[in-house]
Amino acid sequence: MLGYEFMQRAFWAGGLIGIIGPLLGVYLMLRRQVLMADTLSHVSLAGVALGSVLQLNPALSGFAVAVAGGLVIEQLRRSYRTYSELPVAIIMTSGLALAVVLMSLKQNLSRSFTSYLFGSIVAVSNTQLGLIAIVAVVGLLYFILLRRPLYSLTFDEETASISGVHTGLLSFSFAVLTGMTVAAAMPVVGVLLVSALIVLPASIALRIASGFTAAILISVSVGLAGVFSGLTASYYINTPPGGTIALILLCFLLGAISFQKLLAIRRRRNVRKST
Amino acid sequence: MILSSMKNVVFGYGHEPVIDNLSLDIEAGQFIGITGPNGAAKTTLLKLLLGLLRPWSGTVSLNKEMTEGGKLVIGYVPQQVASFNAGFPSKVIELVRSGCYPRLGLFGRFTKEQEELVERSLRQVDMWEYRNRRIGELSGGQKQRICIARALAQQPQVLVLDEPATGMDIGSRTGFYKLMRHYVSNHGRTVIMVTHGLEETSPYLDTTISLERKEQEGWTCLVTNSCSAHFGPGA
Repeated sequence: MLGYEFMQRAFWAGGLIGIIGPLLGVYLMLRRQVLMADTLSHVSLAGVALGSVLQLNPALSGFAVAVAGGLVIEQLRRSYRTYSELPVAIIMTSGLALAVVLMSLKQNLSRSFTSYLFGSIVAVSNTQLGLIAIVAVVGLLYFILLRRPLYSLTFDEETASISGVHTGLLSFSFAVLTGMTVAAAMPVVGVLLVSALIVLPASIALRIASGFTAAILISVSVGLAGVFSGLTASYYINTPPGGTIALILLCFLLGAISFQKLLAIRRRRNVRKST
Repeated sequence: MILSSMKNVVFGYGHEPVIDNLSLDIEAGQFIGITGPNGAAKTTLLKLLLGLLRPWSGTVSLNKEMTEGGKLVIGYVPQQVASFNAGFPSKVIELVRSGCYPRLGLFGRFTKEQEELVERSLRQVDMWEYRNRRIGELSGGQKQRICIARALAQQPQVLVLDEPATGMDIGSRTGFYKLMRHYVSNHGRTVIMVTHGLEETSPYLDTTISLERKEQEGWTCLVTNSCSAHFGPGA
C-alpha cells in the first residue's frame, strides 16, 4: 500500500492533520465553538470555487478565504456575545450559498468539487501537502509556546484578561489558526467531514481525561489512530477516506462511552459488596 | 493611599444609565465590602474599576505608584466563575498552578517556590486533599474555593472578589473572611469584595460601600468606614 506515492502523501497529510486537528478541537470545544470547523470548511469551499472562477490556485484561495472567515466569525462573536452560535450559523449559510453559486459558474469543474466535498486521497496535491506541513508546524509552535495564556483564556476570558493575557490578540490568532487548519484538512477528509477529525477525538478526550494535559495527549493519539486506521481501511475496502476515518472515530467514541459505563457499573457493584 | 478613583462615571447597558455620575475613591490596604440589592450595579462597578467595561463618560484611574515592577497585579474572581466551565477537563492543581502563569510569563520555569505557593494557596482554602481531582467533580462551594486559591497563587496586591462566598458553608466562609483580613492587615494587600451577607462580614471589613436605587432620587452610593477593631494577630 505504501509503495504508491499518492498513498505516502496521504499518510503524511493525514498524520499531520491528525495531530493538529484534534489538538485544536480540544480548545474549540472548551470555547463552545465546535461548529466553527464545519462553518469554515463551507467558507473554504467558497474560496476554492472563487479560485477556480478567477483562475487562481484553488488550494491557496480556499486557504485564504477560510482564514478570512475565521476572522469575521471572531469579530461577530464579539458583537453577539450571548448568542455565540449565531455568527457561526450566519457564516455557514453565506459560505455555502456563495460556494453553490460560484460552482454553477464553472460547470465543467463540478467534478473536482466532489473531491473537495467528500475528500479524496488523490486530491492531495504537492501544494496542499506543503500547506498542511506549514499549518502543522505553525500550529504546534503556537500551542506549545502559548500553552499558558491559552489555558487561562480557555478557562475564563475575563480573569485571563485581568491577569495580563492579551485576550483579543490571542482570540484572533486562534481564529486564524482554526481557518488554516480547516482549509488544510479539507483535501484529506472533505468539507463535510472536517469537523469529524477536529471534534470527535476531542470529545473522546474530554470524557476520559483526568486533566488538561492528559486531554490534549489523548485527543491527539485518538486522532492519529483514527486517521491511520481509516486510511488503511479505505485503501483495502475501497471506501471514501473521509467517511471511513469519521466512522472509525465514531466507533472509538462509542467504545469509550460503553467502556466508561461498564467501569462505572463495576465500581458500583464493588461498593455494594464492600458495604 | 488611594488605589483607584472614579470621577463622574456614567455607565449603562441599554439606554438608561445604571451608574449615574458616580465619584468614588478606593483606599489601598483596606478590606472593602460592596453591598446592595440585586440590580444595584455592584458587579458593574467592579468591572468598571477593573477596566473590563468602559464608562460612557467620566474617568476611572488606577494608582500607578502601587505598581510593582511596572505592573499592578490584580486577582479577580468573578461571580460564579466555577459554574460556567464545569466540564473543563482540568485537575484542581493544574488550575491553581495557572495562577502563577502571569508572573512566570511564557517560559519561566516552575520552581520550588511556585510549588510551595500553590500548596499554600490550596491549603488556605482547605482544598489541598482535592488537588488531583477533576474540577468538574467538585461541588459549587468547592469550585468557588479553588478559584479563590487560583487568585491567591497570583500573589496579587489587589484582590477583587464578586460574591466569593456563594455556595460555601458557614465554616469555610468565616475561615475565608479571616484569611482576607489577615492578607489586608499583615501583608498590606487590598481586598474588594461584593457581598450580600453584611451581618456576617461587617466585623472584618474596613469600609462598606452600599449601593441603593431609590424611586425618586435615583441611584445613591454610601460609603461607611467601619470603626470596629481590626482582627488578626498584630492588629
